[in-house]
Amino acid sequence: MTTMDPTVEDALPETAVEPKGNHAPGMARVCATTGLTVDLTAEKFIKLHAVFAVVFLLLGGIAALLIAMTRWSAVHLLPADWYYRLTTFHGLNMLILWILFMEVAILYFAATALLKTRLASAGLAWAGFVLMAVGAVTLDTMILMGTSDVMMTSYAPLRAHPLFYLSIIFVAVGTLIGVINFFATVYIAKRDKTYSGSVPLVVFGAITAAIIAVVTLGHGAGIMIPTFLWSIEVLPSPDPAVYRLVWWGLGHQSQQVNVAAMVSVWYLLGAITVGAKVLNQGVSRTAFLLYILFINLASAHHLLVDPGVSAGWKIWNTSYAMYLAVLASMIHGYTVPAAVEVALRKQGHDKGLFGWLGAAPWRNPGFSGFFLSLVVFGFLGGITGVTLGTEQINIIAHNTLRIPGHFHTTVVGGTTTAFMALAYYVVPLIFRREFPMRAICRAQPYVFTLGVVILAVGMSFAGSYGVARRHWDVEFTGATHAASFDPSVHIFLGMVGIGGIIAFVGLLMFVIPTVIAVFFGKKIEGKMPAW
Amino acid sequence: MAKQEKAADVIDNEGAHKGDQMHAAPGTFVLTLILLLSFAVYYFANWKALADVWQVR
Amino acid sequence: MESPLASVAPNWLKAPTGTERAWIGLALLWCVVLTLAMPYWHFKGKQNSTGEAYTVEPAKFAARVQQFVESNKVGEQNGVPIVEPAPGGDAYMQAQMWTFYPILQLKKGQTYRIHLSSLDLQHGWSVMPINMNFQILPGYDHVLTITPTTAGEFPVICNEFCGIGHHQMTGKIIVTE
Repeated sequence: MTTMDPTVEDALPETAVEPKGNHAPGMARVCATTGLTVDLTAEKFIKLHAVFAVVFLLLGGIAALLIAMTRWSAVHLLPADWYYRLTTFHGLNMLILWILFMEVAILYFAATALLKTRLASAGLAWAGFVLMAVGAVTLDTMILMGTSDVMMTSYAPLRAHPLFYLSIIFVAVGTLIGVINFFATVYIAKRDKTYSGSVPLVVFGAITAAIIAVVTLGHGAGIMIPTFLWSIEVLPSPDPAVYRLVWWGLGHQSQQVNVAAMVSVWYLLGAITVGAKVLNQGVSRTAFLLYILFINLASAHHLLVDPGVSAGWKIWNTSYAMYLAVLASMIHGYTVPAAVEVALRKQGHDKGLFGWLGAAPWRNPGFSGFFLSLVVFGFLGGITGVTLGTEQINIIAHNTLRIPGHFHTTVVGGTTTAFMALAYYVVPLIFRREFPMRAICRAQPYVFTLGVVILAVGMSFAGSYGVARRHWDVEFTGATHAASFDPSVHIFLGMVGIGGIIAFVGLLMFVIPTVIAVFFGKKIEGKMPAW
Repeated sequence: MAKQEKAADVIDNEGAHKGDQMHAAPGTFVLTLILLLSFAVYYFANWKALADVWQVR
Repeated sequence: MESPLASVAPNWLKAPTGTERAWIGLALLWCVVLTLAMPYWHFKGKQNSTGEAYTVEPAKFAARVQQFVESNKVGEQNGVPIVEPAPGGDAYMQAQMWTFYPILQLKKGQTYRIHLSSLDLQHGWSVMPINMNFQILPGYDHVLTITPTTAGEFPVICNEFCGIGHHQMTGKIIVTE
């Protein structure tokens, strides 16, 4: 059944045996499986960033399990202080550390391997990596020491330890240096003519993500630096409304970096798992461009029930911007599966409307992870996101569990699942190590997605009964005025707990084989074994 | 199957635009229509839920 | 058609065709519906967040709350005054780690201007079980022109993290027929 499970080389350009890029002699290798030219310096940094990413994913995952076990009202595991501490820890490890380390790895890969160029600067790559790593370790240490129980958003005037803000600034500046190195790499590829015409679509998507990242990190600096100076009592407290506006320029747009990176990974995995081609370059590239142009305004989604921002401002920012960015996602939501459909039909799976879908390589975790990511992101993440971000509807959703119910289907069910699927190719192709426990790998995307979906649906329903996010006690024990929810919320919170356990098992099914493969896996000399 | 042909047609970058851009993806089109329908149902159900709460300006 | 991993000739901008074109058209149409829904509701709907707010120093807000309580107090529950504002008039609720003060007693179908502000951190004003949620910021007097349409006792819970006592921060609104 090798035709059902096409190996990577089907999709990729065959290149000459010798690298023809701009690499110094001995500083590149030709991948035996894909024919791509891999810059050895870039390869080292891709490995470093990917390993750190997985470490933070595991740390964030352990915290996730513990807080899910606390939200499950029948278990209510952690004491209140540790619940809030680990919620802070979980948010930052997942949304900032795992994602940013992985994204820098993806940027370095996309620029060097797909444009057949060397990395612009090893020095910059080291500087960025060290800043990110020092920042990340300091950040986690400060949170676990209990000095900074402020949630990921650290809304002023709630105040954390100065090192909390400083370490976030370190991570942001380190990431910015990585992004600058990426742009420099794209520049030298163009200068040295290592590719002809326009950059590949996946690189175009990566450039989109990188541009949004610069805007995002600019907002991050704009708010974190004055907040840090306030924490060491140099500046007065930031205005809370201004803080929210600028912070969400960081917080919302950083998720749009994820979306652009995730969509690029979809195109990449479609190509290497089933040989999908780009149906219309203009359509896909225009859709990426819409992200850059319009996503900026979407930080307004977090201020829809705030004082001091007028209805006109909110409607303008929500509608005008958001829906053209939504249009972009709806376009990718068609072009990506359509490319898969066209490729599979071409391979002879042409029966009926969905014969191609049945014939897809569902046993390949690179494919199943990518396709599940697409479905969960579109059907659950997209629909809930647009609805909750509607100006007036936000009144019945703001700060309830409906919000994390939404973003666990975008960032976890979408981005994280896609990045995991990518790892099923990164490890054999970049680390050149074989995955052990292949049956577990094949099942992993399904288990993880199932857990995330149960968790997110539980959160959404509990939230629609008013259960607050970031809240330790649905019984309000000891409160001045008694308060409680509809009893059915206990069932939905039970789904949060059970979904959390299943997703955590799915996470371990990813982390354990990946770590074993990277450190002890059988060395791959020739082509990678087909999934 | 046909590995050589496929590999050849991806390297062929310069002449990539020759030939028809038309493609047939009826299955995906149906899937996206289902998405749009679910979207509309969820979206309007939320407006309905909003209409039931206290009046506020 | 090219692989998304291959560079392409620069003349890549082509109009979409077939089902792709149809989908983009439908998606665009849906985006127009989404865009028009909000201004429509702003003028025709009864639930809107207009963000009416005034800057206010926390101490001055606390003084106004105190004055409001003293002139309109009708009872006490759990040591917290119950205050009944005149229909159509101003009402105040102050958020502070970790209480809402005072208890408001309102009449169903009457409209009130409820002023919300915080004396310390950011808080969330979440009315249960109807699940209406608004943000409270220190330094801002957030005015909600609100008309309760159901009677009963409505707990108010805080849904913005405000420190270790966050989950014990509650208040109350009583709506009489």
